[in-house]
Amino acid sequence: KSCQTEKISTAETAVQSHTSRDAGVQTDQSKDAVQDFQQEVQVDYTSLLSFLQRVEDGVVKELNKNWKSRAFDGFEVNWRDQNETVLCLHTLSYPEAQDQNLQVTSISWNATGSVVACSYGRLGAGDWSTEKSYVCTWNLDRRGLNPQRPDVVVDVPSSVMCLAFHPSQPSLIAGGLFSGELVVWDTGRTEDPVIWRTGMTDDTHTDPVYQVNWLPDAKHRNHAQLLSVSTDGKILVWREDRDGRLALAKGFAMLAQQRCLFFSQFAWGEAAVGVTSLSFSHFDPHVFVVGVEGGYSLKCSTAAETLALHRTGSSVPLRAPAELGFSVYSVSCSPFHRQVLNLFLSCGTDGQVHLHSMLQAQPLVSFQLSKKYLFCVRWSPVRPLVFAAASGEGKCNKCFCFTGAVHLFDFEKSLQKPAVSIKQAAGESPVYCFEFNVKQPQLLAAGDAAGTVKVWQLSSDFTEQGPREINHLEQLASEITD
Amino acid sequence: GIPVRTTLDNSTTVQYAGLLHQLTMKARSTVRDIDPQNDLTFLRIRSKKHEIMVAPDKDYLLMIIQNPCE
Repeated sequence: KSCQTEKISTAETAVQSHTSRDAGVQTDQSKDAVQDFQQEVQVDYTSLLSFLQRVEDGVVKELNKNWKSRAFDGFEVNWRDQNETVLCLHTLSYPEAQDQNLQVTSISWNATGSVVACSYGRLGAGDWSTEKSYVCTWNLDRRGLNPQRPDVVVDVPSSVMCLAFHPSQPSLIAGGLFSGELVVWDTGRTEDPVIWRTGMTDDTHTDPVYQVNWLPDAKHRNHAQLLSVSTDGKILVWREDRDGRLALAKGFAMLAQQRCLFFSQFAWGEAAVGVTSLSFSHFDPHVFVVGVEGGYSLKCSTAAETLALHRTGSSVPLRAPAELGFSVYSVSCSPFHRQVLNLFLSCGTDGQVHLHSMLQAQPLVSFQLSKKYLFCVRWSPVRPLVFAAASGEGKCNKCFCFTGAVHLFDFEKSLQKPAVSIKQAAGESPVYCFEFNVKQPQLLAAGDAAGTVKVWQLSSDFTEQGPREINHLEQLASEITD
Repeated sequence: GIPVRTTLDNSTTVQYAGLLHQLTMKARSTVRDIDPQNDLTFLRIRSKKHEIMVAPDKDYLLMIIQNPCE
């Protein structure tokens, strides 16, 4: 017998779309909390007990075997292609800003890790100029990425000194201005991106805002508060108010007092100490570290309650000044170290990076990177033993560090010198700011005084955590303290 | 799987329970596919940071996460 399919009928037609529309989509953060597991599950405890008794011996034997096993010593698996070198992926710039000789003052990656924003302004301007500046964002994952044309450009009437993207909403970005104001922009809006501003009230800073941070609000997931830090010595916490205004929720004042280590009273007539940078501890949301102009770093707590005039409270600093005469430009708390020995880094105009523990007054280790200023220091978000520092200008001719470079240190390799130094550009412009990309840990964006932002892809040794790194870090910290 | 007793925090427990239950069932079916007379007695997964052990049973699963010594 044989079979055969019937004749297949075919037809030909052509189609064409003649109208089209553009739309953009973006995922939102999920609103469900993790489901709590049912406490009321019906369990037959006798059968559970007999199960546990059955498996107990076998499991304990395996645990012991594992504890003594040497089978996997030195065994490592490479899941991804190993990248040996550091590559420059993108060189982004905004020609209009470069024509005005503006410098990149701050860089921020957004919540999803695909957009990098930079602010143009001038560091060390020293005058109350109302020079226009820009905030530019580039979406690196977009196909039509043009390095000379940012996706969004926001014109700002005053110089922007610092930027911070919202930790969960990918389009909100906050900036601190030279005039002491804070503004929040929504980059998703095309007409007027400004959604909140502090305005110039009695509450705002009287000096440039050097750092702005978002504080997650425990009660409302998406309503974060903003914290700003300025050289007028005030640390202010802002919350959203009506009409697109930001209202002051809480405030702290940093005050200098001659001799005592702990103070909790605001006294009229004290000199305010300018605060230049701030970093929150990743484990205790109330504890943060600030770097101040006198050259020291202080540990503070937002839970400080003592009140003072003008509704500002003072915080309780932990340590006395170590050295005066230079400014701390940047501090960064380690995202890995546990509460017990909280480590943080600080760097400043003395060209040194200090590794501190929050429990101790003196720094644990100091690295003399160069005689040049160091503008920014950050811990790596994936490798507990790695941190990076950006060097700026200086007057030294003899040392071998390039001006304008980001130096990556790896405690596993060497305690004295950087593992890799990424020179930003052929010229000599200093690097003022850089940020690791938390979502894509192989990316690092650095901005310099010539107005360019370079996005570097790091080699694999900086992106993959080794097996016992956290323990190494703790060991190192305890070795140094002894 | 529904967690009955745990020494870890809630969210981690729920995560481990769901993921490891599926993996254990898959491992069990792999063993039985190769030899239907065989069955899974113990599952160990070694990762960079720790070792996960699962002792399976008809109604229960015991999961242990251990830091290996090096």
